[in-house]
Amino acid sequence: MQSHRGSLVVLAAILGLTVIGTTSCHKKVVPPPATPPPPAATPAPTGSLTAEPSTIQAGQSATLTWTSENATELDLEPNIGKVQPQGSTTVSPQQSTTYTLTLKGPGGEQFDEARVTVAGAPPTPAAEATPPVTEEELFEQKVKDAFFDFNRANIRPDARVALTEDAQFFKEHPSIDFTIEGHCDQRGTEEYNLGLGERRAEAAKNFLVSLGVAASRITTISYGKDRPFCTEQTSACYQENRRAHFVFGSETH
Amino acid sequence: MSFRPASALQAQELSKTLSSVKGMMLTKRWLSFVVFILMGVGLNAGPGFSQGWFKTGINLGQTQVKIAVPDFPPQSVNQQLVSLTQTFNKVLWNDLAFSGILQMVSKSYYPLTTPQTPAQVDFKAWSGPPVNAQMLVLGSTASVNNQMVVTAYLQDVRSPGSPPAMAKRYVADLSPEAARAIAHHLANDIIQLLGGGIPGINLTKIAFVSNRTGYPEIWVMDYDGHNQHPITNYHSLCTTPRWSPNDEDLAFTSYASGNPEIYIFSLLTNHRLPFPTYRGLNTTPAWSPDGKKIAFCSSMGGDPEIYVSNVDGSNLQQLTFAPKVNISPVWNPKTGKEIAFVSDRSGTPQIYIMSSDGTNLRRLITYGGDANAPSWSPNGLFMAFCWGEVGTGAYDIYVINIATGQIVQLTHGEGRNTHPSWAPDGRHIVFCSTRNGGHRQIWTMLANGQDPRQLTFKGSNWNPNWSN
Repeated sequence: MQSHRGSLVVLAAILGLTVIGTTSCHKKVVPPPATPPPPAATPAPTGSLTAEPSTIQAGQSATLTWTSENATELDLEPNIGKVQPQGSTTVSPQQSTTYTLTLKGPGGEQFDEARVTVAGAPPTPAAEATPPVTEEELFEQKVKDAFFDFNRANIRPDARVALTEDAQFFKEHPSIDFTIEGHCDQRGTEEYNLGLGERRAEAAKNFLVSLGVAASRITTISYGKDRPFCTEQTSACYQENRRAHFVFGSETH
Repeated sequence: MSFRPASALQAQELSKTLSSVKGMMLTKRWLSFVVFILMGVGLNAGPGFSQGWFKTGINLGQTQVKIAVPDFPPQSVNQQLVSLTQTFNKVLWNDLAFSGILQMVSKSYYPLTTPQTPAQVDFKAWSGPPVNAQMLVLGSTASVNNQMVVTAYLQDVRSPGSPPAMAKRYVADLSPEAARAIAHHLANDIIQLLGGGIPGINLTKIAFVSNRTGYPEIWVMDYDGHNQHPITNYHSLCTTPRWSPNDEDLAFTSYASGNPEIYIFSLLTNHRLPFPTYRGLNTTPAWSPDGKKIAFCSSMGGDPEIYVSNVDGSNLQQLTFAPKVNISPVWNPKTGKEIAFVSDRSGTPQIYIMSSDGTNLRRLITYGGDANAPSWSPNGLFMAFCWGEVGTGAYDIYVINIATGQIVQLTHGEGRNTHPSWAPDGRHIVFCSTRNGGHRQIWTMLANGQDPRQLTFKGSNWNPNWSN
């Protein structure tokens, strides 16, 4: 049960990060001047600043890369200062930071911004020392459960999206064997739910197999309503329990 | 616990018992009583008889015998005997009161002197007001040679001077378990005599699932909730226990290997008997009434279908072919020729009946909603099940007359009531209910829904199955 809750938290965190990442990734393109400068005049400086990745965990680093033309003086703030006309540097901000590149030249002054979003709690020293790279940790981060309707074992549109991404992950990590657990909410009877949970696990498995994941890698098991993720009598809790849950490795021994 | 019937004396008393029963049958009052029962069997739910068909079919009858059961006095002041006699009296009263065929006359109406032998019975005092009893149970307890001896009589007090309908002596160890067993044996004998020959259930057991140790394991208890003890200790998930017809084995589902498999456990040897393992879900085993076959749910072919094989796993056959959930098979215990099961092929779980070779499929309950957990009555006439509106999670226990389709509701929204299982007398049903405090607990009731009694109190307890 603890591992279930843990994986849920991780899942939620990943979802949250994805949202933040797609909305706040800031790559501003400098707009062209409203009117072309006279040919004789000195051209205005132009340039751009990007951050890669734009979202990091606290303690991780991002790379700032910039280019410029017609600039004689480049200033990257905060905390970096004067820089060359082209270049890159790594930054490791403790909190989300917007970096500003100011370009000065004979033709005038311009600037560009790039934001580095820092997500999650401050890292423990141990986490800094060992980056998460095991396949099990990747599995926990990436693999999403599939959710079902009451009394049903058919793959809903949202489950189709989740399972399609799961299939991609499993094809990219062919050495991972895994178990799909079928679960049901508490409203059905014990015995019927054993059968329904089995059909949910099998439905998720068949969907992955249809997308090219080898059936031999997949173990299924139904727990019916006997190992719920939550025990409140709310529709949200019922939905939490109607799922095909992915577990790293094979449970049978 | 050791229990043995008394030897020579009892044999003599027994023949006396049989002849007195024969004599009793011939009296006019008893004749009419018997005739009434026989008529009732043939009634088959005529509109003028209301639900009389139901009462008769579940062996509860239309009338109850009024019976007085004064406490048996101990014949010595031996403290151990006094204590064991209290246990005996309590269990005897409880057994008879829950029999469903007797009307217990309150002890507060009894004459002040309690007879210990038929010769001491004041017939008028027991048959007249305020007692108005028809039958009187009397006797005494003694401690002889370090054993408990109970002498008991059943007397028809409305026929002055008639011989006792029953006279028996019971001998067992001086222990609370033995005192309970004697009371159960005596109650069984009385109930069989006054209840149309159907044996009492006071020595039967109930298997169930309990998570009180932290893991769902198979447990067994006496029919009245005493002597609860675990059968499995797998620290995994065990569920769906089913008694073999001779009550020597329990079949159930175990996740101990990591995959749900069918285990057959011998209660005689405390060892597992061999049964094949199959891939996927394997659950809800059900014994054929001759004990030779097991019907069960397996997803060995991809989706949960009903299969049947011999008890050793040979001669495996698939009975259902609907790529949905097919689970919870039960055999017609009377004929062994039909199997009922649950399938959601229509969209919601419903109860179906088929021949035991998979042919002649038909749907039993046609009221929509969710119909689950079928239990076939011992006489083959009825199916108990639980039913609820789709998605509410609220279930109640119902009984359907399989031939006519008439339905009687036994519980009425007191918590969530699921998973009925018939007692072998057809008069009692054990089920799972959340009515007291929200946790699933095991309850028994009469098969007409009356006299519900809670048997379990620790942890959550579910999936009860009554022995045979």
